[in-house]
Amino acid sequence: MPGLFEGFITRHRKGVTLAVLIVVSFACLLVSNRAVVIKPKDVGLSFVGFFQKGFTGFFRWFGDTAGSIRQLNEAREELDAAQARLQEMDRVTREIVELRRQNATLREQLDFAQSLLPDRIAAEVIARDTDNLFSTITINKGSRQGIHPGMPVVAYQGDMEGLVGKVLSVGPGASQVLPLYDPQCLVSARLDSTRDEGLVKGEGKDHGTVLLQYVKKTAKDAIQYGDLVVTSGLGGVYPKGINLGRVREIKALAYETSLEIEVEPIVNFDRLEYVFLVGEESSSLVPAAAPDMPKSQPAAPVPAQGAHAQ
Amino acid sequence: MNRDVRVTVFTTITLILCILLQSTLLNRIAIRGVRPDLALIVLVFVSMRRGSMVGQVSGFTAGIFEDLMNVSPLGFHSLLRTIIGYLYGIFAGNVFIDPFLMPMILTVIATILKGVLAGIISAIFGIASSGFITFTGRLWIEVAYNGVLAPFLFALLGLFRIFKQADKEAV
Repeated sequence: MPGLFEGFITRHRKGVTLAVLIVVSFACLLVSNRAVVIKPKDVGLSFVGFFQKGFTGFFRWFGDTAGSIRQLNEAREELDAAQARLQEMDRVTREIVELRRQNATLREQLDFAQSLLPDRIAAEVIARDTDNLFSTITINKGSRQGIHPGMPVVAYQGDMEGLVGKVLSVGPGASQVLPLYDPQCLVSARLDSTRDEGLVKGEGKDHGTVLLQYVKKTAKDAIQYGDLVVTSGLGGVYPKGINLGRVREIKALAYETSLEIEVEPIVNFDRLEYVFLVGEESSSLVPAAAPDMPKSQPAAPVPAQGAHAQ
Repeated sequence: MNRDVRVTVFTTITLILCILLQSTLLNRIAIRGVRPDLALIVLVFVSMRRGSMVGQVSGFTAGIFEDLMNVSPLGFHSLLRTIIGYLYGIFAGNVFIDPFLMPMILTVIATILKGVLAGIISAIFGIASSGFITFTGRLWIEVAYNGVLAPFLFALLGLFRIFKQADKEAV
């Protein structure tokens, strides 16, 4: 009998190895993944749903492409009109050049002041996820430097501070950050101009937009393109008043009771090199924007530092 | 040391190096945030040259390493790379690989297969990933990226004597 068994293994060496490796991988998945689907019905639903999502995504891509061509024509007409406006704006711009120069100097001074905040830990982005399936960012600071899971992460780009995400897991000398664009990342937010609250959710696109959901439909007329979206501070994970992004598109779907607002993140994740981890002390130093004193004017870039200075 | 063992060890090290490259330097050449999967191209090349045993064992080992580096649950990438290594190894010695077309075709199929398998595993185990499981643009960018790079990487790997085609019987 043992001879038969050995003979079988020898004859089917590759198949047996494959079976062993698959079983080991499955066992690892079962042990390490707490959200395992066990019910056969749920497994079936997930399995079928996967293909349904695939078909929907595929056909949506065709639809979006056709829509893009139409939008391109519209954009061309808008471009002609915009060029005429641009000439007028050129004249105005020349007048404010001097004001901008003064403004830039003040911002630099303000940046310096912020770098002195006592509980902000600077870190360098050292790696990203190895595959395109997941979207974590690895930084070079860990528990030895006082990092702990859940810490908010911000970055400065241009003249603005924006939310990057939060610390997901911590090793002794490195940590993984869950970025804002990850679908698992949920941030309670509010529109800075109208003070309407919502929930920002990633869409899995590190170069694209995130989605602001659950904003009341009644706020549609008050919201403008370019409005700033900031953290609301609810939930206690992220401090109040950190910039998230600007409104890029407002969708009022008939079957939804709330608005879906596409928000373009302040942070360009492709260019992310250095980040700052916000400690509890710093969190309390991030001031809330006064309800009667919005930080931004619609569609006009406004420095976050201004908010901190208030 | 048996030649297959040597090849497996060498392949595993190469795959791990590729994985490290993917998480660091290759971010600089990412297209819309999508990086090429060099490890997948290497795995396809080696499996087609050296057969299922080398492909699946090195794929599994490198996959475990990848899972330890990533937020993905342990076993996710090892399962993906084991299956792909095994499947491509079946055809070792039976397919003529020209310098351009076949590397592209083989890699394109492998990338789509990876997407399908990743989606199925994610659906079964309830794994939340932000990647291309819904067949959106990210998958197709990676398919194109891998396909374009494959002929060059195949040519480069072909220079290594250790990856020399195994006898058909041995495969």
